[in-house]
Amino acid sequence: MTRRILSGVLGVVIAFVVGALIMLIEGFEPLATYGALAQFSLGGIGPLATTLKNSVPLVLTGLSAAIAFASGPVNLGQPGQLVFGALAATLGGLYISLPPMLEIPLLLLFAIAGGALWSGLAGLLKQAFDMSEFIVTLMLNMIADFFTAWAIAYPFMDRKAFSPMTPPIAQSGWMPDIGPLSSSVLLMLAAVAVMWFVFQRWRAGYEWRITGQNSLFARLGGCDVRGNFMAVMLVTGALAGLAGGLVVMGGPHRFIKGLGANYAWDGIMIAIMANNGLIETLIYGVFVAAIQTGALGMELITNVPSEIAQVLQAVLVLVIVATREYAVVVFDRLAARHQAKERTT
Amino acid sequence: MNIVIGLITGMIAGATPILLAALGGTLTFYAGIFNIAMEGMMLMAAFAAVLGSFLFHSWVVGVLFAIAGAMILALIFIFFSVTLDTDEFVTGIALNLFAVGSTTYLLRQIFKVKGVFTSKLIDSIPNIHIPLIEEIPLLGPVVSGRNLIVYLAVIATIFCYYLVFKTRFGLRLRAAGYNPNSLDSSGVRTSQMRIYSLLLCAVFCGLAGAFLSLGYVTLFAENMTAGRGWISLAAIILVDGHPYGIALISLLFGFFDGLGLFLQNYGVSSQFTSMVPYIATLVALYVYARRNRERERSTL
Amino acid sequence: MEDFISLEHIVKVYPPSLLAVDNVSVGFRKGEIHSIVGENGAGKSTLMKLLYGLIPFDSGTVKMNGAPVRFHKPGDAIAMGIGMVHQEIELIPQYTVWENVVLGAEPVRGLGGTLDTTGAIELVRRKIDEFQFNLDPSAQVERISVAARQKVEILKLLYRNVSVLILDEPTAVLTPQEIPQLFAELKRLREAGTTILFISHRLDEVLELSDRITVMRKGKKIATVAASDTDKGALAQMMVGRQVIFTSKRTPHRRGDCVFEAKGLCVARRDGLKLLDDVSFSVHAGEIVGIAGVEGNGQFELVNSIMGLRTPSSGSIKVNGREICGLPILERRRLISFVPQDRARMGASLAASILDNAIMTHHRLEPSFSAWRGLVLDYRHARAFTDELVRRFSVQASSRQSLFRSLSGGNQQKLILGREFLLSTPFFLMDQPTRGLDVGSSEYVHGEILSMREADRAVLLISADLEELFLIADRILVMHRGQIVADLTTERTTIQEVGRYMLEGKRTA
Repeated sequence: MTRRILSGVLGVVIAFVVGALIMLIEGFEPLATYGALAQFSLGGIGPLATTLKNSVPLVLTGLSAAIAFASGPVNLGQPGQLVFGALAATLGGLYISLPPMLEIPLLLLFAIAGGALWSGLAGLLKQAFDMSEFIVTLMLNMIADFFTAWAIAYPFMDRKAFSPMTPPIAQSGWMPDIGPLSSSVLLMLAAVAVMWFVFQRWRAGYEWRITGQNSLFARLGGCDVRGNFMAVMLVTGALAGLAGGLVVMGGPHRFIKGLGANYAWDGIMIAIMANNGLIETLIYGVFVAAIQTGALGMELITNVPSEIAQVLQAVLVLVIVATREYAVVVFDRLAARHQAKERTT
Repeated sequence: MNIVIGLITGMIAGATPILLAALGGTLTFYAGIFNIAMEGMMLMAAFAAVLGSFLFHSWVVGVLFAIAGAMILALIFIFFSVTLDTDEFVTGIALNLFAVGSTTYLLRQIFKVKGVFTSKLIDSIPNIHIPLIEEIPLLGPVVSGRNLIVYLAVIATIFCYYLVFKTRFGLRLRAAGYNPNSLDSSGVRTSQMRIYSLLLCAVFCGLAGAFLSLGYVTLFAENMTAGRGWISLAAIILVDGHPYGIALISLLFGFFDGLGLFLQNYGVSSQFTSMVPYIATLVALYVYARRNRERERSTL
Repeated sequence: MEDFISLEHIVKVYPPSLLAVDNVSVGFRKGEIHSIVGENGAGKSTLMKLLYGLIPFDSGTVKMNGAPVRFHKPGDAIAMGIGMVHQEIELIPQYTVWENVVLGAEPVRGLGGTLDTTGAIELVRRKIDEFQFNLDPSAQVERISVAARQKVEILKLLYRNVSVLILDEPTAVLTPQEIPQLFAELKRLREAGTTILFISHRLDEVLELSDRITVMRKGKKIATVAASDTDKGALAQMMVGRQVIFTSKRTPHRRGDCVFEAKGLCVARRDGLKLLDDVSFSVHAGEIVGIAGVEGNGQFELVNSIMGLRTPSSGSIKVNGREICGLPILERRRLISFVPQDRARMGASLAASILDNAIMTHHRLEPSFSAWRGLVLDYRHARAFTDELVRRFSVQASSRQSLFRSLSGGNQQKLILGREFLLSTPFFLMDQPTRGLDVGSSEYVHGEILSMREADRAVLLISADLEELFLIADRILVMHRGQIVADLTTERTTIQEVGRYMLEGKRTA
């Protein structure tokens, strides 16, 4: 356990050093840049609240990817499921207007259903025709992207806007703020807690975990492997859809062009960094959100472009994973060498 | 008549990058690497091609830059996946992200633009006119006058086939995928074969990327590979890596790509026509899965 | 006589802490057949892999003709004339015989390393003739027999002109009748000057074949003796560290009603080849029925048909009178306990905790494991259950949360055995339950199987180890090409008779 935390921290440190080297080559001041990054993401209640709010879609898509990968299905469809969830919530908010107590849960349900619909389609293709969900979800991402682009450019376009987007949703469907904090954040935390409980305590969660580790063993042990596959696809699609709904309801309150592109692979990346652990996903999700949030502010006071955050993220994934896997090898080798030395002397 | 030639032109333009990337990918596929970094390699190459061509006003330098760009990703892949033994899937995904991030960043840093960069100073890869064949009616305009990279892709297909199935290198390459232990105990290092295959893959993806940004257009757009690397991965899986099969599948995708553009002229909105290649991939996967299932039933 | 190859003070620790070879020094002479014997896990294979350069060792020296050498990869060893045939045959099934033989040392012609196919086939054919191996160089390896594959492995090394041949348990995959042929070939090679290092744990074979024998136990070298100066009992004692009894522990037990019954079971490929051909037999309560046979003669299909991984093309399987063909796996598990041959693939999840592995199947079948109407697992009960299992079957584990992977092979098998034993099922299917276990663990497993018989459960035991079957089975069925070709009562048959059925099927009857 301590070794796990240690190698995680070590990975982050190495990644930041690599990032600093890149900045030096580019002629930027690494310390000032990192300082600005931290200041605009963690320095004070305002930045902190923004970071947490920005972490909502990252953590939820990360959770989706982590649960999928840990349970077997290679669901890489979070980007598509997110935009479908967002579109479903938007459409609900455009045509239905109820008091907030009803409107918000209803739109969230729409978002969940939208995401689950899109992942369910991939799950169905796998179950009925044995089509690998790995490629299918990737293709469905592209199709979802074009479909939503069409939807906001033609049937549901806001005629007053200059670029493709829908009109705003009913105000009763906006996620309220609690003080400086968006209520989306609380919802996100609740989702993590619920999914943790399902994963660690439910019988289905037990079967998901074992199936992810060794599906033949699970099948021979009497687990409902087919049913679990579909369940995992639906649940993970729902989580990504929920992320999309919250992006719309908590942010621009409408579906604007390129809404999904910002989160395209972030969830998958976070799940990988977290080694598919649910709590770790929460931590790394907030961490990545801090980098992204800080990068925007950093651009204002240093002349480092915010896009460097994307480079830094990719470096983070590689270094964290490599450190984690390689640290185990190194520790084991050291232990072995030590013991070998003892035997000969 | 013009419609047919137009469709064929669209098909060839669409097929070429997928074919090249898939040929590169298939070498790693035979070597037993789960390589999903073609997308990133192509994107990096497309950017480097524009950079090289812009700086030196020469498409040759552009192509060399493209190969170098893809090579950088291949070297990172080798360092992490072969040397440090990091998971190949994770490495691939991280490299794709790295390609998107760094090209976006460099686009802004070097060219001071967001989204798209184009300039009159970028030299494009020339079309090649074949003297005699050009005169032949029907065949002439189809075969001649294509982009240089198109002809390279044809040569590359035959080269790959020969390399994989007729040479010592190919025998060892496939052995690395079929049974690495056997290859190792035969005195050839599997990791060495994997490194070679990744470097070759980078060359092919470099050409594919150069074609995207210096072939029919002379521009770089953020994320301009648009999933072509994934489609090329699907193409490899669909034909179990056979180079000629890949050529066929790539032409099929190219056809649907061209068809999409063609339909746009008839008032179908561009969003739907852009979906066509991805839907075609899904259909191809369906056919593949069905065939597989039948084959399984007959041998089990 | 001078040692041709000597290993001095070799130590190997598998990371993090498995001491596989513990300060071993041993010498091999030119032109001798030198056997290395020891139990599973004694370190004999590891020692040879270190010599071959396949895995690095931590300290010690290897000398050839008195000069220190260091092999970093098998290629280095081959260049010095040392070749090794592995226990799991490492060939490429998709390649032909000649492609496998020349891989890594291919004849080429022209530019760019084009393979010289005709030249290569000719070279391989000449080698085959030279050593009288009776192989077709153009045959695809996946289509030839296991014994032929082994010859291909040896040929591959001879093609590289090795003078030292290491063979890791080569007889494990052969039938009793194929073994003398291999031995004749090996002795012919010795006459031609080849040094042969022969790894085995079958003492009869070792005594027959070798000039000298080195015994290993728990990573240490116990002794090197001349084959003419020792006998089976002495070797066994050195190997195990105590006296071993080669007699059955079975006591008479009354057999009860019929529990398991297969009738006319067929599994056919689409091309018509029958992998299971009209298989009928029954197992009664309080009876252990063994299935003998060379691997790949239908045992795999039989197991998969019983467990529901494969649908038979015709026939029926009944347990306690209930037809189970067509039932979902969970329903079958109410009637069948199952110990698979491949622990890591079918019997457990290596990455899960001991607890997670212990409660599999129980979590569905026993109401005491569920809360909230089956939605939630009762982990308090699961912990108590796991502790009880670990205690009763004496599994050595640091905690119930430690990973299954961290257990030794014997303890892994105890946990699986215990889990399946505690299911209240009438029928027990065991597929090679002692494969890869040391003598102590095997004895434990045999004891548990016999106690199931005492508890009047019906046991079907599939095993490639004839000694094991003769030790504990009441009846022995022999499978050959998908058919049951013999149904023999253990007391009234011999290893030789069973071996004949295994190799030749019904013709001998």
